[in-house]
Amino acid sequence: MWLYLLGLLGAAFVLIAAGLALRGGGGSRIAADGGLLADRGSSYGKAFGLSRWLTTVDHKDIGLLYIALGVVAGLWGGVDAMMIRTELATPPTDVWDTRTYNELFTTHGITMLFLFVTPVFTGIANYFIPLLVDADDMAFPRINAIAFWLLPPSLVFIRAGLVTEVLAKVLEAFGVVVEALFALEPPGIGWTLYTPMSIEALNPQIDVFLLGLHLSGIATTIGAINIIVTIFTERGEEVGWENLDILSWALLTMSGLILFSFPVLGSVLVMLLMDRNFGTTFFLAEGGGALLYQHLFWFFGHPEVYVIVLPAFGLISFMLPRLVGRRLFGFKFLVYSTLAIGVLSFGVWAHHMFATGMDPRIRGSFMAVSIAIAVPSAVKVFNWIATLWYSRIRLSAPAIFLLGGIAVFIVGGVTGVFLASVPVDMVFHGTYYVVGHFHLILMGIIPFTMFAASYYWYPLLTGRMYDPRLARIQAVLTVVGGFVAFVPMLVVGADGLPRRYAQYPPEYALLNQVSTLGAYLIGAGVVLWVYNVFQSLRVGPEVEDADVWNLKETGQFSREWQWFERRLEQRRGEPSDDD
Amino acid sequence: MALADENRTRRVLGAIAGGVAGMAAMSIAFALLEVETRYEVGIFAGIARFVMVPGNLALGFLVFVLFGAIVWPLLFVFVEEHIPGGPDPGRRGLAFATVLWVLFMLTAAGNVTGATLLIYATLTLVGHLAYGFILGAVYGHVRPDFSLAEVRERRNPR
Ligand code: HEM
Ligand SMILES: [Cu+2]
Repeated sequence: MWLYLLGLLGAAFVLIAAGLALRGGGGSRIAADGGLLADRGSSYGKAFGLSRWLTTVDHKDIGLLYIALGVVAGLWGGVDAMMIRTELATPPTDVWDTRTYNELFTTHGITMLFLFVTPVFTGIANYFIPLLVDADDMAFPRINAIAFWLLPPSLVFIRAGLVTEVLAKVLEAFGVVVEALFALEPPGIGWTLYTPMSIEALNPQIDVFLLGLHLSGIATTIGAINIIVTIFTERGEEVGWENLDILSWALLTMSGLILFSFPVLGSVLVMLLMDRNFGTTFFLAEGGGALLYQHLFWFFGHPEVYVIVLPAFGLISFMLPRLVGRRLFGFKFLVYSTLAIGVLSFGVWAHHMFATGMDPRIRGSFMAVSIAIAVPSAVKVFNWIATLWYSRIRLSAPAIFLLGGIAVFIVGGVTGVFLASVPVDMVFHGTYYVVGHFHLILMGIIPFTMFAASYYWYPLLTGRMYDPRLARIQAVLTVVGGFVAFVPMLVVGADGLPRRYAQYPPEYALLNQVSTLGAYLIGAGVVLWVYNVFQSLRVGPEVEDADVWNLKETGQFSREWQWFERRLEQRRGEPSDDD
Repeated sequence: MALADENRTRRVLGAIAGGVAGMAAMSIAFALLEVETRYEVGIFAGIARFVMVPGNLALGFLVFVLFGAIVWPLLFVFVEEHIPGGPDPGRRGLAFATVLWVLFMLTAAGNVTGATLLIYATLTLVGHLAYGFILGAVYGHVRPDFSLAEVRERRNPR
């Protein structure tokens, strides 16, 4: 058995080596020049097949790789979510035991935040920023590739418990028992990894998991630096700060937030690892204490929620006017509000800690800033609604998603303002109300805008058109599912049901079942989306006119579509194209 | 199945290739699900019941793979013309796999009940649909007398 595996591994290495040798053998060596591509244009002369994807430094390919990895992680985290909701379909703990339940919500949260949302948005940034700012590629193409390739190993590290167990089970079926592979269990300590629990838990997988998380943080930071440098230094002649598009502004702010918050997460994780393994006492009573951990974690954690929501805002502001045939209302204020959120988001972290017994004066100041941060968010909502005023709303699938997203965000945002008020938070902290609040935003707006973007740019990404009817069905199903799944959580939470328990009193059964139904609706929507994406790749009609969304009519035929138009023309001119 | 002789081999081989690809996807997904759901849905025990060797997981899985890779694809080739959803074999594969899933649920679900049944049915349905779609798509790709251009739809944006 082991020989067989070793043989397989050896064969794989030989193949890779052969591929690399073939590629390198072309005579054109690339000099070490700090990441600039010495001797070729942006997207021509690529390798073919698998080695194209393994060795690419083209921003579009890397973007697609990011998106693919994000989708895989998202589906995985989605299965976790379905399992959570299945457990909660009935009041007692009858499907999975409490330990498994704890593992589920931990891996669900971490997978979604770090391995789904951030990679997908980084992928979108990679694909579209160079097109939108008229750059040849990202500023550091090879560092870009490195940043991506750090993610698959961090995915494996973070979810190692399951991967090793599958391996162990497969080996066991062939009669080989490897005890070590069974030792890693998925962590069950919540995505916030609060001390002292995260220090005391014995499960060795937690260490692997922390390393994986650290790795993903490094990857994210590298990617952010690349985005910042690209927007600052690689803009084409016609793209100045005054006409930089709204999506690039959002992604630039996101990258700034990453740059200042992820290093803090990195330090926290290292300190946690040291506390777990080397007897340091950063987060024990004698050292800084559990409160220090919470401060550091949320100093990262709150900016993180804006890291993942700002690109979604940017996508709405970018696509909405184009889909409803009207200019974006108050462009400047949307940019200012984005920057304001970026700055303010570093001053609100302790609103996650109101219930810890901090000094009331500190609580008061954090409450004030937290309520203030709602203002720029409200400015955005106002501008979106003003954009819709007198517009021609056509209910295409992306438009349904964007309108649904705005509606959900209003509910999610307003509940956040309530939570920012200390007395309200003292009651609701630790209940399902909080889960409802952040899911209305996290599930509502973020995947909704991603779905919208996937349809909006599907013709550009694939050269084919998706199935619009199926897409509309998916959009309605998902938006309805979102409300059905998360509004009941606000209700049970306001009634006092605590979060993070596998069982609950029977009087909450009905609302929880409604919520589970919503989750399954969302799941059905995701299946339709996957089908539409793959089936349209096969049978979707080829796009002949680059102006799929009638953007020329309103003068919004932006750079990425112009690039697409050039490409279509090229392809018509010379049938043997590169890809 | 009225087939010209030169086509028959390629159609059969195409179907088997599709079956192997579909089975590969489905078994990886099932293995992950089985662990992810902490053995609570008992997919492999169900599979063993499905192929009539209850209790023997290894043998059951082997028979399951053989069926998925060879027997169902051959059946698919024979009945293809009568499956709704055509002419695209990918969509026909979906319909075909749905029937298989119903059979699977009738035999394999065993004594799974309540909320567990909910997720069991959902996840195995998705697995079967993926299997059927891959089976049909690969088969259509290999089949010499079928061209995707026939089924490409004319769609308007939106
Ligand atoms: C209008 C702006 C917002 C305000 C005033 C706000 C306020 C709050 C407050 C006070 C809490 C702590 C509740 C508690 O634990 O007792 C909270 C939790 C949370 N919020 Fe927000 N929020 C806002 C927007 C957002 C956005 C845009 C996101 C994500 C994209 C988000 C995601 C979260 C998450 C994930 C938690 C829970 C963290 C946890 O304990 O696991 N919030 N929010
Ligand atoms: Cu916060």
